[in-house]
Amino acid sequence: MATLALYSNKGGVGKTATAVNLSYLAAQAGAKTLICDLDPQSSATYYFRVKPKLKSRAKGFIKGGKHLYKSIKGTDYENLDLLPADFSLRNLDATFAKLRHSKQRLKKILKPFRDRYDLIILDCPVTISILAENILNAVDYTLVPLIPTTLSVRTYRQLLSFCEKNNYKTGKIYTFFSMVDRHKKMHHDLITSVLKEFDGVLQSYIPYLAQIERMGIYREPVVAFAPSSAASKSYQNLWDKVQETILSPVRRK
Amino acid sequence: MISELAGQYTIKKESAISESFAIYDTFDWRLFNKSFVLYRSGNKLFLRKLAKSAILHTIEITSLPVFIWDFPDGKLKKHLLPIIKMRALLKLVEVLCRSTIYRILNREEKTVARLTYEEILPSRAKDVLALATHLWLKPVKGYPKHSQDLAKQFKEAGFIITKKEDIYFKALKVVDEKPGSYSGKLKIQLDPDMRSDDATKMILHFLLQIIRINEVNIEKDLDTEFLHDFRVAVRRTRSALGQIKNVFPMETTNRFKKDFAFVGELSNQLRDLDVYLLKEDTYKTMLPPVLQNDIDPLFEYLRQKRSKALQNVLNGLRSKKYVKILHDWEAFLNEPREYSKTAANANLPVIYLARKRIYMKYLRVVKAGNLILENTEDEMLHVLRIQCKKLRYLMEFFSSLFPRKKINILIEQLKKLQDNLGDFNDLCVQEEYLFNLTKQLPATHQQFKKTLVAIGSLIGTLDRERQTVKDSFAKIFTDFASPANRKLFRELFASKQ
Repeated sequence: MATLALYSNKGGVGKTATAVNLSYLAAQAGAKTLICDLDPQSSATYYFRVKPKLKSRAKGFIKGGKHLYKSIKGTDYENLDLLPADFSLRNLDATFAKLRHSKQRLKKILKPFRDRYDLIILDCPVTISILAENILNAVDYTLVPLIPTTLSVRTYRQLLSFCEKNNYKTGKIYTFFSMVDRHKKMHHDLITSVLKEFDGVLQSYIPYLAQIERMGIYREPVVAFAPSSAASKSYQNLWDKVQETILSPVRRK
Repeated sequence: MISELAGQYTIKKESAISESFAIYDTFDWRLFNKSFVLYRSGNKLFLRKLAKSAILHTIEITSLPVFIWDFPDGKLKKHLLPIIKMRALLKLVEVLCRSTIYRILNREEKTVARLTYEEILPSRAKDVLALATHLWLKPVKGYPKHSQDLAKQFKEAGFIITKKEDIYFKALKVVDEKPGSYSGKLKIQLDPDMRSDDATKMILHFLLQIIRINEVNIEKDLDTEFLHDFRVAVRRTRSALGQIKNVFPMETTNRFKKDFAFVGELSNQLRDLDVYLLKEDTYKTMLPPVLQNDIDPLFEYLRQKRSKALQNVLNGLRSKKYVKILHDWEAFLNEPREYSKTAANANLPVIYLARKRIYMKYLRVVKAGNLILENTEDEMLHVLRIQCKKLRYLMEFFSSLFPRKKINILIEQLKKLQDNLGDFNDLCVQEEYLFNLTKQLPATHQQFKKTLVAIGSLIGTLDRERQTVKDSFAKIFTDFASPANRKLFRELFASKQ
């Protein structure tokens, strides 16, 4: 059993596309997988053709347990379930803040699902507030997509220093390159410097490809509708790296 | 049906998946008896519960393991070990399962239920007729209304959506295998009012079947237990002839007693060797690490001896004498009953004879055991072991005549005593056997000298264990001879005539 968050404190970096494709690949590999769409924009939910609605809305979400389990939908794929998003989740931050143990709420909500699934993947909204701390407390590992641009790298640095300041283990945070344009010299240079600067960088590049954007038209993971495309190969490669580096028993200290 | 549904739902057909799989079990259905299904598909071996689809354990294999010791260490091996023990896994059947999944979609083109059409085919050849087909509905989590609606429609159309019936039974039907059809255990249903000679013939007939079934398989040498079951059936036959007294003419009984003694002896040597070879790992763990490899030449030597011994047994089973014994025996069991003055108990209702024989044997066991408590001699333990075995066989022959729970309690109690006596005897025999082997091994070779040291060490360990077993006899016997058991024995078997 493992939990993995697709998280970033910067928007538009490819979190949802990655979460959707990785969860599909995990399920195909035989792991009973749950993808939780925590983003009120509900893109992951949309990709899986599910209505973005939770039974008893955000209230039910915070309560967790049986109520929330009833909201889970089977997807089009064997072994893969989805916890849909709900627009009411937009106030999750404020709601958590009002409660006791406000930074451990999400962990508690997800706990009953840990026995039912081999892998839980969280597709997170952009945040670096109390919800972010909930996420960091709830999951075993965090995976941050990184666009090789100056701003993106700067945001990543911010995240790491935030974690250090607040005693979150940076050793459980991994990153990989997303939306890479190999023709751009800047991308190339930044990749080299990022590899030097940070630990936990997966040797995996998701290129910037139109095929990935077509997921919105097909409403399927790209790995499902175009399994032999370059996009699918890059996600497959990322999944292999995630398994080798993060989920396999030999772990980085 | 699927085309009918197409009016209301969008249905998407997935490509069919064909999967060949082979099912394995031991000859005596040990896995089936514990409701397990072991099967291979591709290069993987799976274990699951019967009628359940969840896989308990799976391993990748390059070649199929036949014995438990062929399995890689792991959970599957651990799980199977106490079940299959020393028996070989045999392939029961190999079939092809072709399943086509139809996804039922809602307006959003989201899957809300799955229909699986499954065909069991005898081979991959084109145009073969399916041996069995069935359709089943698998709900998708979170869409209960759709599945309920579909199930209702199926029902109305007169279609019974089967819950997934275990493919195991369908596959076995293909080869006409009936799960659980063989067991070395006695399963004889007697009627209390039957004539004793008829009842005895029924028991002996059952034993003859076991002899016949195993006899043909000894030659294939798949595992050691065909011979074992064969020998047990022969021993039980002898015991029945000796213990169920005066039901057949004296000369007939005497003749076959002698004959089956001969049949039993045919394979003594082979069985001994099987026992020692099965103990190879156990013996090794008994040795100090420095000696563990030195024992190897012993087992090499025993293996060589075994192939000769097997040949001797096969020759014996093909011999004119053996063939004639079995032929005559079968003829005797099938011939109409013969009235003879020597068979005083022949027409006695079997329940009376059963009670009398079991109770007498029980009293004798208790008496012999009490004597040992006063003075424990090895020879007397041996005698008691034989008495217990006779009692056990009698109780098993006639168990259908008595309340099942009660007689099983007593058999269980007796078994504990027998285990103790059996262990003691095995250890005595092993020590002696190993000691005699030291004379046979050529000691000239340097390597064999080390082997002799290892055997010496082994004998030492066995001897200490023997003492422990002997020391525990008193307690175990006292438990068996307890007032509670005595009461139950009296209740079931003391003559009510």
